[in-house]
Amino acid sequence: MEMSANQELILETNELTKKLGGKPVVKAVNMQIRRGDIYGFLGPNGAGKTTTIRMLLGLAKPTAGSIRIFGKDIRKMRLAILRKVGSLVEYPSYYGHLTATENLEAVRRLLGVPKSRIDEVLSIVRLTKEAKRPVRGFSLGMKQRLGIATALLGDPELLVLDEPTNGLDPAGIQEIRELIKSLPQTSGVTILISSHLLSEVEQMATRVGIISKGELIYEDSIHRLREQAQGRVRLGVSNPESAWRLLLSHGYPVGWENGRLTVAKADDRTVASIVARLVKQDFEVYRVEEETASLESIFLQMTGTEGSL
Amino acid sequence: MMLRILSSEFLKIRKKLIWLLVAAGPIGVVALQAVNYGVRYDYLVAGKETAKLWSGLIGNVSMLALPALMVGLALVASMTAGIEHQMNAWKLTLALPVRKRQVFAGKFLLTALLLLISCTLLVPLTVALGLALGFDGPIPYGDLLTNAYYPYLAAMPFIALQAWLSVTMANQTLPLTIGIVGMIVSMFAGGRFPDWVPYKWPQLVNASHEPLYSVTAGVALGLVVFVAGMAEFVRKDVK
Ligand SMILES: Nc1ncnc2c1ncn2[C@@H]1O[C@H](COP(=O)(O)OP(=O)(O)OP(=O)(O)O)[C@@H](O)[C@H]1O
Ligand SMILES: [Mg+2]
Repeated sequence: MEMSANQELILETNELTKKLGGKPVVKAVNMQIRRGDIYGFLGPNGAGKTTTIRMLLGLAKPTAGSIRIFGKDIRKMRLAILRKVGSLVEYPSYYGHLTATENLEAVRRLLGVPKSRIDEVLSIVRLTKEAKRPVRGFSLGMKQRLGIATALLGDPELLVLDEPTNGLDPAGIQEIRELIKSLPQTSGVTILISSHLLSEVEQMATRVGIISKGELIYEDSIHRLREQAQGRVRLGVSNPESAWRLLLSHGYPVGWENGRLTVAKADDRTVASIVARLVKQDFEVYRVEEETASLESIFLQMTGTEGSL
Repeated sequence: MMLRILSSEFLKIRKKLIWLLVAAGPIGVVALQAVNYGVRYDYLVAGKETAKLWSGLIGNVSMLALPALMVGLALVASMTAGIEHQMNAWKLTLALPVRKRQVFAGKFLLTALLLLISCTLLVPLTVALGLALGFDGPIPYGDLLTNAYYPYLAAMPFIALQAWLSVTMANQTLPLTIGIVGMIVSMFAGGRFPDWVPYKWPQLVNASHEPLYSVTAGVALGLVVFVAGMAEFVRKDVK
Protein backbone atom coordinates (compact mmCIF):
# COMPACT_ATOMS: atom_id res chain seq x y z
CA MET A 1 0.00 0.00 0.00
CA GLU A 2 1.55 3.25 -1.12
CA MET A 3 1.14 6.36 0.97
CA SER A 4 -1.12 8.97 -0.46
CA ALA A 5 -0.20 12.52 0.36
CA ASN A 6 -3.60 13.37 1.76
CA GLN A 7 -3.50 10.78 4.49
CA GLU A 8 -3.92 12.41 7.86
CA LEU A 9 -0.73 13.22 9.73
CA ILE A 10 -0.81 11.65 13.17
CA LEU A 11 2.59 12.81 14.29
CA GLU A 12 4.85 15.50 13.03
CA THR A 13 8.06 16.96 14.41
CA ASN A 14 9.56 20.22 13.28
CA GLU A 15 13.32 20.74 13.64
CA LEU A 16 13.18 18.68 16.82
CA THR A 17 16.44 19.05 18.74
CA LYS A 18 17.72 17.83 22.08
CA LYS A 19 21.01 18.59 23.76
CA LEU A 20 22.22 16.37 26.56
CA GLY A 21 25.22 17.47 28.56
CA GLY A 22 25.80 20.28 26.04
CA LYS A 23 26.01 17.82 23.15
CA PRO A 24 23.24 17.65 20.54
CA VAL A 25 21.99 14.05 20.42
CA VAL A 26 18.90 14.78 18.32
CA LYS A 27 19.43 17.31 15.54
CA ALA A 28 16.63 19.13 13.75
CA VAL A 29 14.55 16.04 13.12
CA ASN A 30 11.52 16.42 10.84
CA MET A 31 9.48 13.29 11.11
CA GLN A 32 6.05 12.52 9.72
CA ILE A 33 3.79 9.64 10.59
CA ARG A 34 0.43 9.14 8.94
CA ARG A 35 -2.64 7.35 10.21
CA GLY A 36 -2.31 3.61 9.76
CA ASP A 37 1.45 3.65 9.30
CA ILE A 38 3.66 1.10 10.91
CA TYR A 39 6.64 3.38 11.11
CA GLY A 40 9.99 1.68 11.59
CA PHE A 41 12.28 4.12 13.40
CA LEU A 42 15.75 2.81 12.73
CA GLY A 43 19.21 3.72 13.82
CA PRO A 44 22.33 2.17 15.33
CA ASN A 45 22.97 2.21 19.08
CA GLY A 46 23.23 5.71 20.43
CA ALA A 47 21.69 7.30 17.34
CA GLY A 48 19.06 9.15 19.37
CA LYS A 49 15.97 6.94 19.00
CA THR A 50 15.11 6.75 22.67
CA THR A 51 15.83 10.44 23.17
CA THR A 52 13.46 11.29 20.32
CA ILE A 53 10.76 8.97 21.65
CA ARG A 54 11.06 10.45 25.16
CA MET A 55 10.37 13.87 23.68
CA LEU A 56 7.40 12.54 21.71
CA LEU A 57 5.90 11.27 24.96
CA GLY A 58 6.55 14.45 26.90
CA LEU A 59 9.07 12.69 29.18
CA ALA A 60 11.82 15.06 28.06
CA LYS A 61 11.53 18.60 26.84
CA PRO A 62 12.98 19.49 23.43
CA THR A 63 15.87 21.95 23.45
CA ALA A 64 14.43 23.35 20.23
CA GLY A 65 11.74 22.51 17.70
CA SER A 66 8.20 21.32 18.15
CA ILE A 67 6.06 18.21 18.15
CA ARG A 68 2.47 17.89 17.00
CA ILE A 69 0.53 14.71 17.65
CA PHE A 70 -3.08 14.37 16.46
CA GLY A 71 -2.62 17.95 15.27
CA LYS A 72 -1.99 19.22 18.81
CA ASP A 73 1.15 20.73 20.27
CA ILE A 74 2.63 18.43 22.93
CA ARG A 75 3.70 21.39 25.07
CA LYS A 76 0.17 22.70 25.33
CA MET A 77 -1.96 19.57 25.21
CA ARG A 78 0.19 16.80 26.67
CA LEU A 79 -2.65 15.17 28.61
CA ALA A 80 -5.13 15.17 25.74
CA ILE A 81 -2.49 13.63 23.47
CA LEU A 82 -1.28 11.01 25.94
CA ARG A 83 -4.83 9.82 26.50
CA LYS A 84 -4.68 8.37 22.99
CA VAL A 85 -1.07 7.15 23.08
CA GLY A 86 0.25 3.87 24.45
CA SER A 87 3.97 3.44 24.92
CA LEU A 88 6.82 1.18 25.90
CA VAL A 89 10.13 2.99 26.36
CA GLU A 90 13.51 1.24 26.28
CA TYR A 91 12.71 -1.74 28.48
CA PRO A 92 9.47 -2.60 30.18
CA SER A 93 8.80 -0.97 33.54
CA TYR A 94 6.86 -3.09 35.98
CA TYR A 95 6.33 -3.65 39.66
CA GLY A 96 8.02 -6.99 40.31
CA HIS A 97 6.15 -7.89 43.48
CA LEU A 98 2.77 -7.47 41.79
CA THR A 99 1.08 -9.93 39.44
CA ALA A 100 0.50 -9.10 35.78
CA THR A 101 -3.12 -8.28 36.57
CA GLU A 102 -2.15 -6.01 39.46
CA ASN A 103 0.43 -4.23 37.32
CA LEU A 104 -2.22 -3.53 34.73
CA GLU A 105 -4.69 -2.51 37.44
CA ALA A 106 -2.22 0.08 38.79
CA VAL A 107 -2.14 1.68 35.34
CA ARG A 108 -5.85 1.17 34.73
CA ARG A 109 -6.73 3.21 37.81
CA LEU A 110 -4.86 6.14 36.32
CA LEU A 111 -6.42 5.73 32.89
CA GLY A 112 -9.92 5.19 34.18
CA VAL A 113 -10.77 2.56 31.55
CA PRO A 114 -13.16 -0.31 32.35
CA LYS A 115 -11.78 -3.27 34.30
CA SER A 116 -12.65 -5.60 31.43
CA ARG A 117 -9.79 -4.06 29.40
CA ILE A 118 -7.30 -5.90 31.61
CA ASP A 119 -8.50 -9.32 30.50
CA GLU A 120 -8.72 -8.12 26.92
CA VAL A 121 -5.12 -6.91 26.71
CA LEU A 122 -3.86 -9.95 28.61
CA SER A 123 -5.44 -12.17 26.00
CA ILE A 124 -4.08 -10.06 23.13
CA VAL A 125 -0.52 -10.65 24.39
CA ARG A 126 -1.40 -14.19 25.48
CA LEU A 127 -0.57 -13.79 29.13
CA THR A 128 -3.98 -14.84 30.46
CA LYS A 129 -2.57 -18.01 32.00
CA GLU A 130 0.27 -16.19 33.76
CA ALA A 131 -1.89 -13.31 34.96
CA LYS A 132 -1.81 -14.28 38.63
CA ARG A 133 1.94 -14.73 38.94
CA PRO A 134 4.29 -12.07 40.30
CA VAL A 135 5.97 -10.39 37.36
CA ARG A 136 9.38 -10.73 39.02
CA GLY A 137 9.46 -14.36 37.87
CA PHE A 138 8.53 -13.60 34.26
CA SER A 139 10.90 -14.26 31.38
CA LEU A 140 12.12 -11.22 29.45
CA GLY A 141 9.74 -12.05 26.61
CA MET A 142 6.80 -12.20 28.99
CA LYS A 143 7.79 -8.90 30.58
CA GLN A 144 8.03 -7.38 27.13
CA ARG A 145 4.55 -8.70 26.32
CA LEU A 146 3.22 -7.29 29.58
CA GLY A 147 4.76 -3.96 28.57
CA ILE A 148 2.87 -4.09 25.28
CA ALA A 149 -0.32 -5.05 27.12
CA THR A 150 0.16 -2.00 29.35
CA ALA A 151 0.64 0.17 26.27
CA LEU A 152 -2.59 -1.21 24.79
CA LEU A 153 -4.65 -0.75 27.95
CA GLY A 154 -5.98 2.70 27.07
CA ASP A 155 -7.01 1.54 23.57
CA PRO A 156 -4.53 3.96 21.96
CA GLU A 157 -4.68 5.44 18.47
CA LEU A 158 -0.90 5.70 18.43
CA LEU A 159 1.37 3.03 19.84
CA VAL A 160 5.00 3.95 20.50
CA LEU A 161 7.29 0.97 21.02
CA ASP A 162 10.98 1.55 21.67
CA GLU A 163 12.98 -1.55 20.78
CA PRO A 164 10.30 -3.99 21.95
CA THR A 165 12.39 -6.95 20.81
CA ASN A 166 15.62 -5.89 22.50
CA GLY A 167 17.30 -8.75 24.31
CA LEU A 168 14.89 -11.42 23.09
CA ASP A 169 15.86 -14.71 21.49
CA PRO A 170 14.79 -15.36 17.87
CA ALA A 171 11.61 -17.11 18.96
CA GLY A 172 10.75 -14.23 21.27
CA ILE A 173 11.45 -11.72 18.52
CA GLN A 174 9.23 -13.62 16.13
CA GLU A 175 6.45 -13.73 18.69
CA ILE A 176 6.53 -9.98 19.36
CA ARG A 177 6.69 -9.32 15.62
CA GLU A 178 3.60 -11.43 14.96
CA LEU A 179 1.86 -9.68 17.82
CA ILE A 180 2.64 -6.21 16.49
CA LYS A 181 1.70 -7.16 12.94
CA SER A 182 -1.68 -8.38 14.12
CA LEU A 183 -2.47 -5.13 15.96
CA PRO A 184 -3.38 -2.66 13.21
CA GLN A 185 -5.91 -5.05 11.73
CA THR A 186 -7.60 -5.67 15.02
CA SER A 187 -7.61 -2.12 16.37
CA GLY A 188 -6.75 0.31 13.59
CA VAL A 189 -3.80 1.66 15.53
CA THR A 190 -0.85 3.61 14.13
CA ILE A 191 2.49 2.27 15.32
CA LEU A 192 5.93 3.78 15.79
CA ILE A 193 8.45 1.06 16.45
CA SER A 194 12.16 1.63 16.90
CA SER A 195 14.96 -0.81 16.33
CA HIS A 196 18.64 -0.91 15.56
CA LEU A 197 18.09 -3.70 13.07
CA LEU A 198 16.27 -3.09 9.82
CA SER A 199 15.64 -6.81 9.42
CA GLU A 200 13.61 -6.72 12.61
CA VAL A 201 11.01 -4.29 11.30
CA GLU A 202 11.22 -4.65 7.54
CA GLN A 203 8.55 -7.34 7.44
CA MET A 204 6.02 -5.21 9.25
CA ALA A 205 6.92 -1.59 8.58
CA THR A 206 5.08 0.37 5.92
CA ARG A 207 7.39 3.36 6.34
CA VAL A 208 10.86 3.81 7.71
CA GLY A 209 12.76 6.68 9.20
CA ILE A 210 16.49 6.22 9.64
CA ILE A 211 18.32 8.23 12.25
CA SER A 212 22.07 8.37 12.53
CA LYS A 213 24.09 10.47 14.94
CA GLY A 214 20.96 12.42 15.82
CA GLU A 215 19.97 13.23 12.24
CA LEU A 216 17.04 11.78 10.35
CA ILE A 217 18.85 10.82 7.16
CA TYR A 218 16.07 8.96 5.42
CA GLU A 219 12.31 8.85 5.59
CA ASP A 220 10.12 7.15 3.04
CA SER A 221 8.03 4.10 2.37
CA ILE A 222 9.58 0.68 2.75
CA HIS A 223 8.99 0.18 -1.00
CA ARG A 224 11.29 3.03 -1.88
CA LEU A 225 13.94 1.57 0.32
CA ARG A 226 13.47 -1.80 -1.38
CA GLU A 227 13.84 -0.13 -4.77
CA GLN A 228 17.14 1.30 -3.65
CA ALA A 229 18.14 -2.15 -2.62
CA GLN A 230 17.39 -3.51 -6.08
CA GLY A 231 20.55 -5.01 -7.32
CA ARG A 232 22.49 -5.53 -10.45
CA VAL A 233 22.44 -8.34 -12.90
CA ARG A 234 25.62 -10.30 -13.37
CA LEU A 235 26.39 -12.19 -16.53
CA GLY A 236 28.67 -15.12 -16.87
CA VAL A 237 29.79 -15.41 -20.51
CA SER A 238 32.57 -16.86 -22.59
CA ASN A 239 35.25 -14.33 -23.49
CA PRO A 240 33.84 -11.67 -21.24
CA GLU A 241 36.20 -8.87 -22.15
CA SER A 242 35.23 -8.78 -25.79
CA ALA A 243 31.60 -9.23 -24.82
CA TRP A 244 31.95 -6.17 -22.64
CA ARG A 245 33.45 -4.12 -25.47
CA LEU A 246 30.73 -5.27 -27.80
CA LEU A 247 27.94 -4.31 -25.44
CA LEU A 248 29.53 -0.95 -24.69
CA SER A 249 29.81 -0.21 -28.36
CA HIS A 250 26.06 -0.82 -28.64
CA GLY A 251 25.40 1.60 -25.84
CA TYR A 252 24.46 -0.81 -23.02
CA PRO A 253 25.25 0.36 -19.48
CA VAL A 254 27.49 -2.56 -18.62
CA GLY A 255 30.25 -2.76 -16.08
CA TRP A 256 33.28 -4.98 -15.79
CA GLU A 257 34.14 -6.52 -12.47
CA ASN A 258 36.26 -9.52 -11.50
CA GLY A 259 35.98 -11.07 -14.91
CA ARG A 260 32.21 -10.71 -14.92
CA LEU A 261 29.84 -8.43 -16.75
CA THR A 262 27.43 -6.44 -14.61
CA VAL A 263 24.38 -4.45 -15.55
CA ALA A 264 23.16 -1.92 -13.02
CA LYS A 265 19.43 -1.48 -12.34
CA ALA A 266 18.52 -3.46 -15.40
CA ASP A 267 14.90 -3.92 -16.35
CA ASP A 268 13.70 -7.15 -17.94
CA ARG A 269 13.79 -5.87 -21.52
CA THR A 270 17.36 -4.61 -21.29
CA VAL A 271 18.51 -7.94 -19.91
CA ALA A 272 16.65 -9.81 -22.65
CA SER A 273 18.12 -7.72 -25.41
CA ILE A 274 21.64 -8.00 -23.99
CA VAL A 275 21.35 -11.77 -23.87
CA ALA A 276 19.93 -11.87 -27.41
CA ARG A 277 22.76 -9.71 -28.70
CA LEU A 278 25.40 -11.88 -27.06
CA VAL A 279 23.91 -15.12 -28.38
CA LYS A 280 23.66 -13.66 -31.86
CA GLN A 281 27.37 -12.84 -31.77
CA ASP A 282 28.14 -16.43 -30.70
CA PHE A 283 29.05 -15.74 -27.12
CA GLU A 284 28.10 -18.48 -24.74
CA VAL A 285 25.94 -17.25 -21.88
CA TYR A 286 26.48 -19.38 -18.76
CA ARG A 287 24.68 -17.42 -16.10
CA VAL A 288 22.35 -14.47 -15.64
CA GLU A 289 22.25 -13.70 -11.94
CA GLU A 290 20.38 -11.11 -9.92
CA GLU A 291 22.62 -9.69 -7.23
CA THR A 292 20.41 -8.01 -4.64
CA ALA A 293 22.00 -5.83 -2.05
CA SER A 294 20.27 -6.66 1.23
CA LEU A 295 18.24 -3.92 2.87
CA GLU A 296 20.49 -4.39 5.83
CA SER A 297 23.61 -3.52 3.87
CA ILE A 298 21.93 -0.39 2.51
CA PHE A 299 20.96 0.55 6.03
CA LEU A 300 24.50 -0.01 7.21
CA GLN A 301 25.87 2.07 4.36
CA MET A 302 23.48 4.91 5.14
CA THR A 303 24.26 4.97 8.80
CA GLY A 304 27.95 4.57 8.18
CA THR A 305 28.29 1.74 10.60
CA GLU A 306 29.26 -0.91 8.13
CA GLY A 307 32.08 -2.99 9.47
CA SER A 308 31.74 -1.68 12.98
CA LEU A 309 28.98 -4.06 13.94
CA MET B 1 -7.74 12.37 39.61
CA MET B 2 -5.86 12.62 42.92
CA LEU B 3 -8.05 9.83 44.27
CA ARG B 4 -7.25 7.62 41.29
CA ILE B 5 -3.55 8.28 41.76
CA LEU B 6 -3.75 7.46 45.45
CA SER B 7 -5.68 4.26 44.85
CA SER B 8 -3.01 3.26 42.35
CA GLU B 9 -0.28 4.12 44.88
CA PHE B 10 -1.89 2.01 47.58
CA LEU B 11 -2.22 -0.88 45.15
CA LYS B 12 1.49 -0.64 44.36
CA ILE B 13 2.56 -1.01 47.98
CA ARG B 14 0.45 -4.13 48.47
CA LYS B 15 2.46 -6.96 50.01
CA LYS B 16 5.35 -4.59 50.65
CA LEU B 17 7.65 -4.40 53.65
CA ILE B 18 6.54 -0.82 54.01
CA TRP B 19 3.41 -1.89 55.89
CA LEU B 20 5.54 -3.78 58.37
CA LEU B 21 7.54 -0.62 58.99
CA VAL B 22 4.40 1.46 59.43
CA ALA B 23 3.16 -0.94 62.13
CA ALA B 24 6.55 -1.76 63.66
CA GLY B 25 7.37 1.90 64.39
CA PRO B 26 4.62 2.60 66.93
CA ILE B 27 4.61 -0.99 68.22
CA GLY B 28 8.35 -0.76 68.86
CA VAL B 29 8.03 2.56 70.65
CA VAL B 30 5.27 1.33 72.95
CA ALA B 31 7.00 -2.02 73.49
CA LEU B 32 10.16 -0.24 74.64
CA GLN B 33 8.10 1.75 77.09
CA ALA B 34 6.46 -1.49 78.25
CA VAL B 35 9.93 -2.79 79.06
CA ASN B 36 10.86 0.51 80.72
CA TYR B 37 7.73 0.41 82.90
CA GLY B 38 8.19 -3.27 83.61
CA VAL B 39 11.73 -2.77 84.86
CA ARG B 40 11.09 0.43 86.80
CA TYR B 41 7.49 -0.24 87.84
CA ASP B 42 7.99 0.74 91.47
CA TYR B 43 9.65 4.02 90.62
CA LEU B 44 7.36 5.03 87.77
CA VAL B 45 4.01 3.79 88.96
CA ALA B 46 3.74 2.88 92.62
CA GLY B 47 1.74 5.30 94.72
CA LYS B 48 1.14 7.88 91.99
CA GLU B 49 -2.21 9.43 91.17
CA THR B 50 -3.93 8.40 87.94
CA ALA B 51 -3.63 11.68 86.03
CA LYS B 52 0.12 11.82 86.70
CA LEU B 53 0.49 8.22 85.59
CA TRP B 54 -1.18 8.85 82.24
CA SER B 55 0.68 12.10 81.53
CA GLY B 56 3.93 10.41 82.50
CA LEU B 57 3.27 7.54 80.12
CA ILE B 58 2.26 9.86 77.29
CA GLY B 59 5.44 11.90 77.81
CA ASN B 60 7.63 8.82 77.81
CA VAL B 61 6.01 7.44 74.66
CA SER B 62 6.41 10.81 72.91
CA MET B 63 10.07 10.96 73.86
CA LEU B 64 10.73 7.78 71.88
CA ALA B 65 8.11 8.42 69.22
CA LEU B 66 9.82 11.63 68.06
CA PRO B 67 13.11 10.14 66.86
CA ALA B 68 11.13 7.18 65.50
CA LEU B 69 9.00 9.60 63.50
CA MET B 70 12.01 11.57 62.27
CA VAL B 71 13.83 8.50 60.97
CA GLY B 72 10.61 6.73 59.98
CA LEU B 73 9.61 9.52 57.63
CA ALA B 74 12.91 9.21 55.78
CA LEU B 75 12.50 5.43 55.50
CA VAL B 76 8.88 5.57 54.37
CA ALA B 77 9.61 8.31 51.82
CA SER B 78 12.51 6.28 50.48
CA MET B 79 10.45 3.11 50.22
CA THR B 80 7.46 4.71 48.51
CA ALA B 81 9.74 6.36 45.95
CA GLY B 82 11.85 3.20 45.69
CA ILE B 83 8.93 1.32 44.18
CA GLU B 84 9.33 3.50 41.07
CA HIS B 85 13.12 3.69 41.10
CA GLN B 86 13.59 -0.05 41.39
CA MET B 87 12.41 -0.90 37.89
CA ASN B 88 12.54 2.70 36.66
CA ALA B 89 8.78 2.90 36.47
CA TRP B 90 8.70 6.71 36.42
CA LYS B 91 8.73 6.69 32.64
CA LEU B 92 5.76 4.32 32.68
CA THR B 93 3.63 6.52 34.93
CA LEU B 94 4.68 9.83 33.45
CA ALA B 95 3.93 8.77 29.87
CA LEU B 96 0.32 8.26 30.99
CA PRO B 97 -2.25 11.04 30.83
CA VAL B 98 -1.55 12.33 34.34
CA ARG B 99 -0.14 15.65 35.45
CA LYS B 100 3.40 15.48 36.73
CA ARG B 101 2.55 17.57 39.74
CA GLN B 102 -0.25 15.19 40.63
CA VAL B 103 2.14 12.26 40.43
CA PHE B 104 4.47 14.08 42.81
CA ALA B 105 1.59 15.01 45.08
CA GLY B 106 0.52 11.36 45.05
CA LYS B 107 3.90 10.19 46.34
CA PHE B 108 3.96 12.88 49.01
CA LEU B 109 0.41 12.09 50.11
CA LEU B 110 1.11 8.36 50.23
CA THR B 111 4.12 8.98 52.46
CA ALA B 112 2.20 11.42 54.65
CA LEU B 113 -0.79 9.08 54.98
CA LEU B 114 1.34 6.09 55.93
CA LEU B 115 3.04 8.15 58.64
CA LEU B 116 -0.34 9.36 59.79
CA ILE B 117 -1.38 5.73 60.22
CA SER B 118 1.75 5.13 62.32
CA CYS B 119 1.05 8.13 64.52
CA THR B 120 -2.58 7.11 64.90
CA LEU B 121 -1.55 3.63 66.03
CA LEU B 122 0.28 5.23 68.95
CA VAL B 123 -3.03 6.14 70.57
CA PRO B 124 -4.61 2.69 71.03
CA LEU B 125 -1.21 1.15 71.77
CA THR B 126 -0.50 3.68 74.53
CA VAL B 127 -3.98 3.18 75.97
CA ALA B 128 -3.46 -0.58 75.94
CA LEU B 129 -0.14 -0.26 77.73
CA GLY B 130 -1.63 2.08 80.34
CA LEU B 131 -4.51 -0.29 80.99
CA ALA B 132 -2.15 -3.24 81.13
CA LEU B 133 -0.10 -1.40 83.73
CA GLY B 134 -3.27 -1.04 85.75
CA PHE B 135 -3.89 2.68 85.23
CA ASP B 136 -7.52 3.43 85.86
CA GLY B 137 -9.69 6.48 85.79
CA PRO B 138 -10.45 8.70 82.85
CA ILE B 139 -8.21 8.05 79.86
CA PRO B 140 -6.93 11.46 78.67
CA TYR B 141 -7.82 11.06 74.98
CA GLY B 142 -7.27 14.75 74.30
CA ASP B 143 -3.64 14.59 75.38
CA LEU B 144 -3.15 11.29 73.61
CA LEU B 145 -4.39 12.72 70.33
CA THR B 146 -2.41 15.97 70.54
CA ASN B 147 0.73 14.00 71.37
CA ALA B 148 0.14 11.76 68.38
CA TYR B 149 -0.75 14.41 65.80
CA TYR B 150 0.93 17.68 66.77
CA PRO B 151 4.49 16.39 66.33
CA TYR B 152 3.40 14.78 63.06
CA LEU B 153 2.09 18.09 61.75
CA ALA B 154 5.11 20.00 63.02
CA ALA B 155 7.35 17.49 61.19
CA MET B 156 5.66 18.26 57.85
CA PRO B 157 8.68 20.14 56.40
CA PHE B 158 10.75 16.98 56.83
CA ILE B 159 8.11 14.74 55.31
CA ALA B 160 7.99 17.06 52.29
CA LEU B 161 11.79 17.31 52.13
CA GLN B 162 12.33 13.55 52.25
CA ALA B 163 9.57 12.93 49.71
CA TRP B 164 11.25 15.44 47.41
CA LEU B 165 14.77 14.03 47.82
CA SER B 166 13.70 10.40 47.54
CA VAL B 167 11.56 11.00 44.47
CA THR B 168 14.15 13.03 42.57
CA MET B 169 17.19 10.89 43.39
CA ALA B 170 17.45 7.35 42.10
CA ASN B 171 20.20 6.60 44.62
CA GLN B 172 18.69 6.69 48.10
CA THR B 173 21.96 7.07 50.03
CA LEU B 174 21.85 10.83 50.27
CA PRO B 175 18.16 11.13 51.21
CA LEU B 176 18.56 8.48 53.90
CA THR B 177 21.72 10.11 55.27
CA ILE B 178 19.96 13.45 55.47
CA GLY B 179 17.03 11.78 57.22
CA ILE B 180 19.22 10.08 59.82
CA VAL B 181 21.27 13.20 60.48
CA GLY B 182 17.97 15.07 60.80
CA MET B 183 16.78 12.66 63.45
CA ILE B 184 19.99 13.12 65.47
CA VAL B 185 19.86 16.90 65.14
CA SER B 186 16.22 16.96 66.23
CA MET B 187 17.02 14.88 69.32
CA PHE B 188 19.44 17.54 70.54
CA ALA B 189 17.49 20.51 69.24
CA GLY B 190 15.45 20.97 72.41
CA GLY B 191 17.13 23.56 74.61
CA ARG B 192 19.96 24.50 72.33
CA PHE B 193 18.39 25.88 69.18
CA PRO B 194 16.39 29.07 68.77
CA ASP B 195 12.67 28.65 68.10
CA TRP B 196 12.91 29.29 64.38
CA VAL B 197 14.94 26.12 63.73
CA PRO B 198 12.51 23.63 62.17
CA TYR B 199 14.27 20.67 63.83
CA LYS B 200 12.91 21.94 67.12
CA TRP B 201 9.29 22.14 66.02
CA PRO B 202 8.27 18.47 66.39
CA GLN B 203 9.07 18.74 70.12
CA LEU B 204 6.46 21.51 70.31
CA VAL B 205 8.59 23.59 72.69
CA ASN B 206 8.84 27.32 72.14
CA ALA B 207 9.24 30.50 74.16
CA SER B 208 5.50 31.16 74.20
CA HIS B 209 4.70 27.66 75.50
CA GLU B 210 2.16 27.32 72.74
CA PRO B 211 2.47 23.98 70.87
CA LEU B 212 0.17 25.24 68.13
CA TYR B 213 2.84 27.75 67.09
CA SER B 214 5.17 24.86 66.29
CA VAL B 215 2.37 23.04 64.51
CA THR B 216 1.40 26.06 62.41
CA ALA B 217 5.00 26.80 61.49
CA GLY B 218 5.50 23.14 60.54
CA VAL B 219 2.46 22.94 58.29
CA ALA B 220 3.30 26.27 56.64
CA LEU B 221 6.93 25.42 55.92
CA GLY B 222 5.88 21.91 54.93
CA LEU B 223 3.66 23.41 52.26
CA VAL B 224 6.50 25.60 50.98
CA VAL B 225 8.91 22.67 50.74
CA PHE B 226 6.23 20.55 49.06
CA VAL B 227 5.59 23.20 46.41
CA ALA B 228 9.32 23.69 45.82
CA GLY B 229 9.82 19.95 45.41
CA MET B 230 6.87 19.70 43.06
CA ALA B 231 8.19 22.56 40.92
CA GLU B 232 11.55 20.87 40.55
CA PHE B 233 9.98 17.50 39.75
CA VAL B 234 7.79 19.04 37.04
CA ARG B 235 10.70 20.89 35.46
CA LYS B 236 13.08 17.94 35.27
CA ASP B 237 13.20 15.47 32.39
CA VAL B 238 12.19 11.95 33.33
CA LYS B 239 15.05 9.47 33.49
N1 LIG C 1 22.18 12.15 30.11
C1 LIG C 1 22.95 12.17 29.01
N2 LIG C 1 23.97 13.03 28.90
C2 LIG C 1 24.73 13.06 27.78
N3 LIG C 1 24.55 12.26 26.73
C3 LIG C 1 23.54 11.36 26.78
C4 LIG C 1 22.68 11.27 27.93
N4 LIG C 1 21.78 10.31 27.69
C5 LIG C 1 22.05 9.81 26.46
N5 LIG C 1 23.12 10.45 25.91
C6 LIG C 1 23.68 10.19 24.57
O1 LIG C 1 22.69 10.45 23.62
C7 LIG C 1 22.84 9.60 22.51
C8 LIG C 1 21.51 9.06 22.09
O2 LIG C 1 21.05 8.14 23.05
P1 LIG C 1 19.71 7.32 22.83
O3 LIG C 1 19.48 6.54 24.07
O4 LIG C 1 18.65 8.23 22.38
O5 LIG C 1 20.11 6.37 21.65
P2 LIG C 1 19.31 5.15 21.01
O6 LIG C 1 19.20 5.42 19.57
O7 LIG C 1 18.05 4.93 21.75
O8 LIG C 1 20.32 3.98 21.23
P3 LIG C 1 20.07 2.44 21.62
O9 LIG C 1 19.86 1.69 20.34
O10 LIG C 1 21.36 2.05 22.26
O11 LIG C 1 18.91 2.37 22.55
C9 LIG C 1 23.86 8.57 22.89
O12 LIG C 1 25.03 8.83 22.18
C10 LIG C 1 24.07 8.76 24.37
O13 LIG C 1 25.42 8.56 24.68
MG1 LIG D 1 17.33 3.37 22.91
